[in-house]
Amino acid sequence: MRKYFITAITAMKGQTNGGIIYMFPNILVSLMYLLPLMFLWRVIAADGTDVGMTLKQLLTYTYMNALLSEMLVVRTLASSWNYEGQLISLFARPFPVFGQLMAQTIGGWIPMLLIFSLPMLVIAPLFGISIIPATVWFFPSLLLCISLGFAIDFIFACVTIRLRGMAWLGHSIRMAIVSLFSGTVIPFRILPFGLTKIFEFQPFGSLGGAPLSLFVGTTEPAQIIATQIFWNFVLWPVAIFWFAKSKERQVSFGG
Amino acid sequence: MVKIKRVLRLYALYAKMDLAWLLRDTTFAVLAVLADVITNLSSVTGVFLLAWRFDGIGGMSRFEVLFMLAYATIITGIFQTFCAGGNVGHISRRVGRGQLEHMFIQPMLLPAQLATEGFIPFSGSSNLISGTVIMIIATVNLGISLPWWWIFSLIGNLIVTVAIVLGKSYLASSLTFYAPVQAEEISSYVIDSFGHISTFPLSGMPLYLQIPLITFIPTGLLAWFPTLALFGRAPFNLPAWYPLLFAVVLWMIATYFFRKGLNFYVKKGINRYHAMGHRR
Repeated sequence: MRKYFITAITAMKGQTNGGIIYMFPNILVSLMYLLPLMFLWRVIAADGTDVGMTLKQLLTYTYMNALLSEMLVVRTLASSWNYEGQLISLFARPFPVFGQLMAQTIGGWIPMLLIFSLPMLVIAPLFGISIIPATVWFFPSLLLCISLGFAIDFIFACVTIRLRGMAWLGHSIRMAIVSLFSGTVIPFRILPFGLTKIFEFQPFGSLGGAPLSLFVGTTEPAQIIATQIFWNFVLWPVAIFWFAKSKERQVSFGG
Repeated sequence: MVKIKRVLRLYALYAKMDLAWLLRDTTFAVLAVLADVITNLSSVTGVFLLAWRFDGIGGMSRFEVLFMLAYATIITGIFQTFCAGGNVGHISRRVGRGQLEHMFIQPMLLPAQLATEGFIPFSGSSNLISGTVIMIIATVNLGISLPWWWIFSLIGNLIVTVAIVLGKSYLASSLTFYAPVQAEEISSYVIDSFGHISTFPLSGMPLYLQIPLITFIPTGLLAWFPTLALFGRAPFNLPAWYPLLFAVVLWMIATYFFRKGLNFYVKKGINRYHAMGHRR
């Protein structure tokens, strides 16, 4: 276990090697996403339309998404390391590749959690944001979301390996799909045309949107947790099997 | 005249190279088109679904919101078509990677290289095409009669908006001359990360949010302001040519700082390559 811990610590320190000031753009981007969206909900609520969620729920949903964004849609460095030729070096180390990537990713979350999320959590009540989850099922749901996020990320890493030099294609498709279908930006609950149910049951719907909807109390925990468990059971074997098949297709010249 | 002919010849050359690159592999070509279509549709769907569900947002009708999303998509398309090749738009990557001196040895002026090298009309134009289609759908459904000169106003606005995107990128990238590793991706933050915010309609939002977003962090000028201006309702009663004024001032500042950084660069260089050619 120690080796995973050391990897995580190294990744954490790597985020601030150039100084904390170099994390400022990420913080600014997070704020720049958060503010317009929070005001968008206020504008929609002010129109008096029945949104299906209270304003407080909408604000809390968006706020918590900004604070936990890296956990709600997990992104490891597997795809970019494959493109840059670094992924192969992980095979030379005496512990599993998935384990290294997971430790590295989790360690990388810590600086933003400490520098951005924690202070924002403290001041959240000033904006009328509830920082207490509506149900304790939020916590297991978040763990299932993170677990599924890793599985999906490894599947996309396999896509990148198969695409060889076209890594950006996989990246483009992934970013576009995930931003819409994970429900992290726009809650499924307020979608038109009866899309709510369809979006909740597709695999990406068990990512960020699932724990967030439990946090604000707009969905039944049983349905969400069951769906998340189902997709974890389906996609983890796919990720493990496909990665095992794909790893020998990696090409690296370094540089 | 000779210079114009040379630039046009270069555009033709880059177009030919781009077509060859796209068609080198059928699978690749299909995937590239598919990726672009999925990306485009996903990027506009979320906000449009909201606008549909709530019958418009903040005083903008459903199809005005759709028009704004189409405008943002076309801007991305123009940027990709003319500036995406060779990271000409994301210039901080070229600077930060120490690749600018590769351009110094070419028998051509640096501005002419920058103006032509990014041209990828076949692999980069899908946003332009899909954005145009979405804009036509939005305009037809708006059911308004537009004067004959409106299309020229639209084209002018698009050019100005692209100029703002590039101006922001080149201004921010001036930092890369001094901090090549740390600021290598600053163009991505300025163009891509902040660009996503341009799909939010700012109508109805408080002034203390709207004003910074059309001045210091001008994401509101990338789609929201021009959309309203094109329909004769420019925000804050500002003149419709406010983005043009903004672009001119931005370019003056960007040119000053970029030249200053370039002077620093030609004296100090960027030591990011190992002797064997790998990047640090």
